[in-house]
Amino acid sequence: MTMSALLAGLTILVIGDSHMVTNGYLITTLHDKLIEQGATVDTYGMCGANAGDWVYPATVSCGKAERVGKESPDIDRKPSTPTYQVDALIAKSHPNLIVIEMGDTMAGYGQHDFPQAWIYQQVHALTGRIAAQNIPCVWVGPPWGSEGSSYHKTFDRVKEMSEFLATAVAPCRFIDSTQFSKQGEWPTIDGQHLTNAGYKAWGADIAASIDQLAPQVAKRP
Amino acid sequence: MTLPSRRIVGGLALLAGIALYGNTAVAAEGKLYPSGPPNGVAYLRFVNLAPQEVTITSPAAKLALPTDEAHRAGEFDPVPPGVALTGSAQLGEATKPINLTLAANEFATVAVSADGADGVTLTVFRETPSDFNALKSSIGLFNADKGCEKAQLVAGDNHQTVIPDIAPGATGRRLVNPVNVALGVACGDPAQAVPAKLGQLSAGDRYSVFVVAKGSGHDVVAVRDEQAPFRP
Repeated sequence: MTMSALLAGLTILVIGDSHMVTNGYLITTLHDKLIEQGATVDTYGMCGANAGDWVYPATVSCGKAERVGKESPDIDRKPSTPTYQVDALIAKSHPNLIVIEMGDTMAGYGQHDFPQAWIYQQVHALTGRIAAQNIPCVWVGPPWGSEGSSYHKTFDRVKEMSEFLATAVAPCRFIDSTQFSKQGEWPTIDGQHLTNAGYKAWGADIAASIDQLAPQVAKRP
Repeated sequence: MTLPSRRIVGGLALLAGIALYGNTAVAAEGKLYPSGPPNGVAYLRFVNLAPQEVTITSPAAKLALPTDEAHRAGEFDPVPPGVALTGSAQLGEATKPINLTLAANEFATVAVSADGADGVTLTVFRETPSDFNALKSSIGLFNADKGCEKAQLVAGDNHQTVIPDIAPGATGRRLVNPVNVALGVACGDPAQAVPAKLGQLSAGDRYSVFVVAKGSGHDVVAVRDEQAPFRP
């Protein structure tokens, strides 16, 4: 897919889960692609974080990371560290567009019942905070991953989660990551986290989707 | 103590007392982090449909529900599914026991009204909603009036039916567009509907309209649903 400079002049705040917390993951690939397209980008990731963790102060137990502009990622692997709060990040970055990547931490992998009421409350809490500041947003759903791991991720549940997020994330626009690859096409290292090649492909596909959506949703400065 | 802070303190006490459910994010053994509530989650709220204060008591805490419109309905608090939740509801001198076990994803509403032989009735409404939609508003109609055989939620000057024929003790729910429309509840003749004042509906929000007996007719309590956060 060809890239354009439609993102030039935009400040984009990207937040997400563990897919953002390691060098070579989306904190590298998506961040770089958005910068390539002319945007100013700040990325923050929290391992294991649910949507509500960006709204209600808590701690995360497997690390967090941030990357401001063209700097290198700053990764904190402390076993207990305070959560980033979306209001504070907005106040710091003043974004024209917020990109949220989240799904795997909330889909209830390994559970018989899909916890949709709980997911909705989590999602609504975060999108409500963003909507209150009238900032456009896009929400990126989870990729297929692999079945049979200790994460108990299954293609059926990823599909269910993606379909649910599509109805739950408004006023954010939804980007369905399952449309970017076939099931099993992007190998994983543990059932959930992709190989570096996978993160490169996923980051490029997300950036291309944002590129297409930006003229419709982003507020120009 | 002001009503809002009492509600918050009471809600937290209920959460701690009945549920002890939820904590900060902690990694589960054997994998890097959990995905959603490890044992599922259900939600429980109490609503005061009586003309005087109601006290809900769990084994560990008390929650006072006042009579003002803004605070007579509690939040949906997260509770563990598959566990017996016990307690009591007191209205004046009358007390009724509470003993509920909820399924994962179930929402239970315990409505306390001032009727029945001993002056207090508990009506338990159970829902397992699947209509979560951030572009629409969800309205539920809860019939706590034994004398209202078929409660109807109607809208507009022409009393168009939004939710039809809800029997006593039952509930119905429907997605609607987030508009500002005059709503009312009828028991029989739609033209005699009692207003249900919700004002401008917000996209993604959920609402409840309760019907309760009042003299020879009925009264209506209309609230926006609140759901307390749960941290697995």
